[in-house]
Amino acid sequence: MKTPMFRNLARIPALALFVSLAPLLHASGGKIVIKAGRIVTQSGPDIQNGVIVIENGRISSIGPDTKAPWDADVLDHPELTAFPGYVEAHSPRGMDRPNETIEVAPFLDVRDSIDPISFYFEDSLRAGVTTINIQQGNACVVGGQGMVVKPFGITIEQMAVRTQSGVKIVAGPRPGASRATQAQALRRAFGDLRRYLEKLVQDTKDGKDTARREALFQGRDMEKEENKKGRAMEGNAAWKIKDLELVPRGEIDEKQEPLLRVAEGKLPVFLYCDSAAAVALALEVARENGFLAGTTLVLEGDSWKAAAQIAAANVPVILSPNLVYSERDPVTGKEVQTFVPGVFDKQNVRFALQSLNSSAQSLWFQAATCVAWGLERKKALDAVTRVPADVLRLGKRVGSLEAGKDGNVLLLSGDPLAVKTKVEYVVLEGNLVYDRSKDVRVKHLLEGVEQNNAAPAGVQTPTDDGDDDHKSGGEETPRKKDAGEKKDEKKDKDHGGQDKKD
Amino acid sequence: MNLSFLALLLAAAQNVQQPKTQGDAPRKNWVISAERIYTAAGRSLEHGTVAVQGSKIGMVSSGSEDSGPESLACYAVTPGLVDASARISSGAASVEQSREETPELRVTDTLSPFDNAWDGQVASGVTSVLANAPDENVIGGLGAVLKTAGPPSIAARTVKADAVLRGAIGSQPSRRNHAAFGRPTDFYSRRPTTRMGVEWEWRRSFYEAAASRKEPARSFKGCAQVLAALEGKLTLNIQAWTTQDIRTAVFLKEELEQEPQLGGKPRLVIDAAAEAWKEPQLLVRSHAAVVLPPFPEDGRTEESAFMAWNSAAMLVELGVPIALSAHGNSSPAGNLGMQAGYAMQGGLDFDQALAAVTINPARMLGAEDRIGSIEVGKDADLVLWNGEPFQATSRVIGVIVDGALVLDPRTKD
Repeated sequence: MKTPMFRNLARIPALALFVSLAPLLHASGGKIVIKAGRIVTQSGPDIQNGVIVIENGRISSIGPDTKAPWDADVLDHPELTAFPGYVEAHSPRGMDRPNETIEVAPFLDVRDSIDPISFYFEDSLRAGVTTINIQQGNACVVGGQGMVVKPFGITIEQMAVRTQSGVKIVAGPRPGASRATQAQALRRAFGDLRRYLEKLVQDTKDGKDTARREALFQGRDMEKEENKKGRAMEGNAAWKIKDLELVPRGEIDEKQEPLLRVAEGKLPVFLYCDSAAAVALALEVARENGFLAGTTLVLEGDSWKAAAQIAAANVPVILSPNLVYSERDPVTGKEVQTFVPGVFDKQNVRFALQSLNSSAQSLWFQAATCVAWGLERKKALDAVTRVPADVLRLGKRVGSLEAGKDGNVLLLSGDPLAVKTKVEYVVLEGNLVYDRSKDVRVKHLLEGVEQNNAAPAGVQTPTDDGDDDHKSGGEETPRKKDAGEKKDEKKDKDHGGQDKKD
Repeated sequence: MNLSFLALLLAAAQNVQQPKTQGDAPRKNWVISAERIYTAAGRSLEHGTVAVQGSKIGMVSSGSEDSGPESLACYAVTPGLVDASARISSGAASVEQSREETPELRVTDTLSPFDNAWDGQVASGVTSVLANAPDENVIGGLGAVLKTAGPPSIAARTVKADAVLRGAIGSQPSRRNHAAFGRPTDFYSRRPTTRMGVEWEWRRSFYEAAASRKEPARSFKGCAQVLAALEGKLTLNIQAWTTQDIRTAVFLKEELEQEPQLGGKPRLVIDAAAEAWKEPQLLVRSHAAVVLPPFPEDGRTEESAFMAWNSAAMLVELGVPIALSAHGNSSPAGNLGMQAGYAMQGGLDFDQALAAVTINPARMLGAEDRIGSIEVGKDADLVLWNGEPFQATSRVIGVIVDGALVLDPRTKD
């Protein structure tokens, strides 16, 4: 449930919300100086041996000879490459369950479902993803509202980057529905909204106070300015509600209100298409109901076949994690592979990529795959930084390293797209939140630290003290070299002299 | 046959085969120029040329040739990749269910050259694979080394028939089996139902086979194949994911060697040895070779085995022969080339990663005389890359199998 504080905060525009919360969250930190051998800014040429100064959580200056404040912590790593954090444009992960069974539920908010301690967020941080748009899954007609978070913090308030980042609307059939039922349900959702609003206007004219009493019952503060006032319908929807200004906005049922904001073009929409067949419906419903300008298409399957229509509609897209679409020609039997981002690049459609998973094949891997298939490197990197930032309306805050932007910086062991590169440090809004040398889980994953009871007895010699041995293997040994020494030591201990003769 | 300037060089390579029919794949004496030629035979060339003669490699040299209709260019050339655990089969239809041990059966009798899986293998640069029956039986039968492209017949694509005797240790062969009482008798009312049952079946087979040398009456179906594996004439290829199963495999090998009545000299390859990193000294001691399964994103593989990403690097450092495998995955994220990339992420250097997907598996399969490296006289199986191999930013753009261009780098998509 929403807390009263959040209920009120949610009415304030999102930016104001963040500004009001930010000092509370990072009162203790937010000032750091990063020196790196190479800075990939994503906003201009790379900087060799550059300095990034972050103050109050924002980048205050960046350049080759920027002066560092005397009192700031310094991350001095001439061997590392600085890179802006990756931006995940759309993800249904990190929630306890990604889907609600109610078909039309724009009044729900993923905030109430996000699990801050989910491994997903830890994995994302490890992979250098610093901004994530969490959206409801696609098993609905109109889903709940999403939220942009950073993968750090133990409460949702700490994680919040932008609340109400957009609502999920689904044009492809939800499980158990046909394409026709889905289309009908989608049109009906907006039809219901119109009928509801028309009745509300009529009731107001007739002097009924049912809506007002219901609003008060729901606990809304009807004395607040924005609730008291009525306002004519705005936006570009093909339909209008006459005399809507007669109805105080606070009297509009909170279950219907978000969809009205969608129709007025005030709430972004992530419009899901499972295939090219769904694209026409998606665009039609978006145009008809006035939210085309706020729409980002989330594409799966063969939706890329409708790239020309998507280009004509001038909307950005978030592509399926499967970047190469395979199809078998039913006549020749030949398998045809299509590199999907290439199709949209040719049509000049702005596209963002999604991770294949939250660990090994995160956004860097997707960008690298694009390069392998011939996409220009800059465009591939933009598709995991700048474009998703713009799609999330955070273009002024994340996606590149520039003065004034959020202090989200990765320090990488090499080029962002090289297979051997690892994320060594993550700085989030000026706070060092990830240090690989202290990451016990990544050590397990990469170096196979033995767990206390992992090895069955028998290989060790009877004189060997197994417990001690395993403890030493599980210690936090920050560098690989140390781990190697441990390994050799263990080898000798385990097998004594007699095995070596074999 | 086109008598070009290569004819003299070719004369040295005695075993030139007549070109096979290759469907509609264009067969020419391709000359491939590349910035980098990684031969997997101890040297790499910058700005080099590989010339194909018939179905064999005719010449490897520095410098580039003039372009002609038979010339191809790319950034890098490697040998055709070899997957020693490609998991291509007809599924359950490849498993004989009437017995737990079917050492005499051949997986090739169940395979189709028209299976779509072959296309995926070719597209990801895999030109030779070891095909085995799925591990539903304890001893599943004879695996074969096959080319992934060529004439539409399994026989014609065979590099080495009866290359290995394949079986499994672990829970897979006993999965679904159950005791005969307490429920209607069905197909799975049979033994073994546990790991110890599986292990017992292995040992019984070897002891019975050894006994049959003196007492022919104790011979059984497939006895000859088990004997061949015992005597080291046939490589023993055993799937074992977890530490406990790897130990069982290694101890089985040592028992076969040390037990006087067996007197075996088995050559053991442990397939899918995800947890080989846990007790690598066992593998060093037993001289077993290891095929690693695909690197899992979160460390967990099948049978709940945990595979660390430095497994390949660590085993190589200790001198254990390793090969990498994609288990048939040909997607951009899971294919064999990327497995080599992940092994590099875990600390393996490029040359060793290359060996682990080319010459090492070729040696494990006993087919290194024909495949696994770019050397004059070997099969012309080549992979053309648009960048550094095994990087996520590169991919396979051309493939030549037995001299035939089966994936054309000049095709624009």
